[in-house]
Amino acid sequence: MSTSLKVRRLGVLAALAAGSALLRCGDGIGPTALSVALVSGNGQSDTVGRTLATPLVVQVTREGAPATDVAVSWSVLSGGGSLSFATPSTTDNLGIARAAFTLGPLAGQQRAQARVAGASGSPVVFTAGASADRPAQITPSGGSGQTDAPGRPLAVPFAALVRDQHGNPIPGVWVQWTVTAGGGSLSADSTGTDGTGTALVTLTLGSAPGPNTVAGTVSGVAGSATFSATGAHQPILVASVPIPPFYGIHDTYVRDGLAFVFAWDRGVMIFDVGNGIQSGSPADPRLVSSLVTSGGDVHNGWWFHNPVSRENRYLFIGQEGPGSIGSSSLGDIHVVDVSNLPDPREVAFYHMEGAGPHNFWMDESRQILYAAYYNGGVVALDVSGTLAGNLASRALDTIAPGAPSNTFIWGVQLYNGSLYAIDMLSGFWQLGVDTTSGTLTIAAGGNNVPERYGSDLWVAGGYAYTGTWGFRTQPGNAVKVWQLGPTGSPALVHTIVTPGIGTVSDVEVSPDGRLLMFSAEQGSSAGFHFYDLTNPAAPALIATYPVSTGVHTATFGTINGRLYAFGAKNPFDPALLILDVTPLLP
Amino acid sequence: MPHAASGQVPGAWIRPAGQAVAVFTQVQGIPGGGSLGEARLVQPMLMLDAGALGNRALFRATLDLEGWTIPNGEISPGSWGEGFMDRRHPHTYVHELVLTGDDLFGGLDRAARTGLSVGKGFVPFGSDDPMSRPVLRYPVNHHIAQILERAMVAASVRAGPVEFEAAVFNGDEPERPAQWPKLDRVGDSWSARLTLRPMMGVEWQLSRARVASPEHREGAGTPNHKWSTSVRWEGPLRKIPAYALLEWARASEAGGFFVFRTLLFEAQGSPGRHRVYYRFERTERPEELRTTDLFRSVRPHLDDQNLGITRWTVHTIGFGLSLWPTGGAIELRPFAEAAAARPRTVTGAFDPAIFYRRTEIVSLSVGLRAAWRMAGHRMGRYRDGTVHEPKTAGPHEH
Repeated sequence: MSTSLKVRRLGVLAALAAGSALLRCGDGIGPTALSVALVSGNGQSDTVGRTLATPLVVQVTREGAPATDVAVSWSVLSGGGSLSFATPSTTDNLGIARAAFTLGPLAGQQRAQARVAGASGSPVVFTAGASADRPAQITPSGGSGQTDAPGRPLAVPFAALVRDQHGNPIPGVWVQWTVTAGGGSLSADSTGTDGTGTALVTLTLGSAPGPNTVAGTVSGVAGSATFSATGAHQPILVASVPIPPFYGIHDTYVRDGLAFVFAWDRGVMIFDVGNGIQSGSPADPRLVSSLVTSGGDVHNGWWFHNPVSRENRYLFIGQEGPGSIGSSSLGDIHVVDVSNLPDPREVAFYHMEGAGPHNFWMDESRQILYAAYYNGGVVALDVSGTLAGNLASRALDTIAPGAPSNTFIWGVQLYNGSLYAIDMLSGFWQLGVDTTSGTLTIAAGGNNVPERYGSDLWVAGGYAYTGTWGFRTQPGNAVKVWQLGPTGSPALVHTIVTPGIGTVSDVEVSPDGRLLMFSAEQGSSAGFHFYDLTNPAAPALIATYPVSTGVHTATFGTINGRLYAFGAKNPFDPALLILDVTPLLP
Repeated sequence: MPHAASGQVPGAWIRPAGQAVAVFTQVQGIPGGGSLGEARLVQPMLMLDAGALGNRALFRATLDLEGWTIPNGEISPGSWGEGFMDRRHPHTYVHELVLTGDDLFGGLDRAARTGLSVGKGFVPFGSDDPMSRPVLRYPVNHHIAQILERAMVAASVRAGPVEFEAAVFNGDEPERPAQWPKLDRVGDSWSARLTLRPMMGVEWQLSRARVASPEHREGAGTPNHKWSTSVRWEGPLRKIPAYALLEWARASEAGGFFVFRTLLFEAQGSPGRHRVYYRFERTERPEELRTTDLFRSVRPHLDDQNLGITRWTVHTIGFGLSLWPTGGAIELRPFAEAAAARPRTVTGAFDPAIFYRRTEIVSLSVGLRAAWRMAGHRMGRYRDGTVHEPKTAGPHEH
């Protein structure tokens, strides 16, 4: 049998089956069948709990004539109301049956029906609009419990829900707002409820740290909706993203709402934390893509925004290979093309014999990458144009400011025309930079932290802050504060010693220069530490965020006007921690 | 019960044993400088050996209670491993749990005897565990010369004086006493050991192993390639029971970036109730980032960096006196042991003279060893008849 014939036969069978089914359907189609029709009462509106003004009425006919003594079955379909009718409910001599409809407690559309067995038109469905009753209660429905800096408006407005005695939200009700504690101010004295019965108001916290409370009231309603918030210099954890434990997470680079997480043998993991490419946010980071560069050991990076080519194409990644401090290290710089963020590709590398990169800084306008190298000093690389293959020919200069076997550079930063470098072994250096040739020279500093190993650095506002690592003759629990002289030369002016930590693993100043952050590992005080830089020469501790297993690095990122700290929780149960640190801003 | 002198054990037997050492150790030259003295109960063990089917089925279980008695380890200059530095770490509670089938093929493999061991314990690599050797203080090379507390499957073939063993196991070291091997890593590491026993009392072994990521439990660490060779002798020397071990081992990590070598010699003479012993050791060890507790290093690793490599030259002498008649089931032996260690920088920034505030580290230990049925026991092998085969009166009765 051909396929087309099969299809045709199947079609005939299907048509017969459908016809048969239609004949069996319906509510008594026939020459002597009853009919029922809606007469009145449909489409009324009233307040919940009330009986509609007009009863629900149907008429039953037989071949066009009123049908008497026909049983009519009434029932409520929705809304929880009730029906009142004669018992038994039968049609009168005009074929009429009626029922009174008392609305149920749920605001909105309510339905009831009249059903006549064997009648066409059955069931007859009535609808009625039920509006909420008078305001009877007001309760908080959102925004309470926030913490932010004193004097700052809260990120989320307070929301009060106004409902009737049945719990139906009531639109169009005015809520009166009052600050009851804390001395803050409100965005309005009164606001009206919207279609969901919700009224909103935004509190600006009082200027002093401590509890703030607000009450929302409605005239004629007993009680109030009370809201609380706290004014405090305290970071708020908004997300903790587990990172695979293959040495876990080492560093994070945040820019344009993307967080580049450098996760060792799991490579670089690119998260949307506000960029929009994956609808992510700091509270809900979304993984965009990841890439394991050659050799793994993915440690740090810098996303290059090239102002000359106007491309944001290259991500530079540092590979931290094995190393022995003071004698040897391995690792390369890997260049990844991230012009297509969901599909990053490694395109180039730079190798330095016997040394490995640790941290980067870029002079983007001059398209020069400065790389701190363990056992190698500082390397300046020309990264203009298209990058491909071996970048050995791009090296502009290399400098090892400490003596041989005494140079293990942790980090570099360009500031006011000087390049600053912190060496684990030989301390804090100011390097001169020829911005046209990239040539590096020693300008000042060095051999100035003999009692501790150096760690990270940050330079801002005429001061530099450097960390310390491990145990030399003293534990690595210090942050050194350096004042930069007229020529940029550093002079130690202060040392912050934090008991209960073994290493200051990362140091950074917020973009506005008001907040100093460092991460700490080992000991009872491991975690994030935040300092007020109102006096940059003597930072004042304002908050800590303990992480008992330690934070390996900490990075600031500004997203949608708020300041966040991205921390690498390592080594146990590695995770990317994201703190909202806006409340810390002085 | 086993009959230690016959080798003809027809039925099933079971043999419990145990030991513990109460010791006070005083050390001059601890991390950060200064001295430290502490009393501890170390090496508390309960053992159970059993055999059946004419010793074709063997079982060993060792319960090590150091997790209770020395949860923070014992002071031991130069010791390192499992997150401890200059303190010996406690072993896991279930130190050994091994089932061995011996002579599996009967006469099918002619004169050879083929065995298979499965369970948790020592993999076939290197020399005997220090716990069953004369010196109380562990050698610096423990993590170079032995591989223990792993879940393993080990096969062995012995023909006359030659024995070959090979095993697969999990590379991860334990991080705490209650931790079990990571079973999903079983098979990521292997070892092999060739042993030659050319004459009574003489034993030479050559071992090779590849241990995947031993110090990072999840497997991110670099593999550790090990070599070991040693010659062990025990027997009478001018009618005095004696023992000697000469050992060399090497471990390399990160594709040879880090290399650690060790050379060790130890000997003991046991005239009557007396025990006199000496050990020389020269071992290289990694200097890792320490925590705020300078006796601890960061675990798991954060990266592959260390502060350098140091070489430890250690001389240890000791004397013990058995209070109980020699050869009995119970032994009570007071002892005194002294060690002088001289650490030197091989590579890196770590300077022991600065860190310990002295160039030579000395220690003195006095204590009492109590053992029950531990005479002749060797740790590290599962079918060489440490219990049920004839032994000379060993000098290493611990």
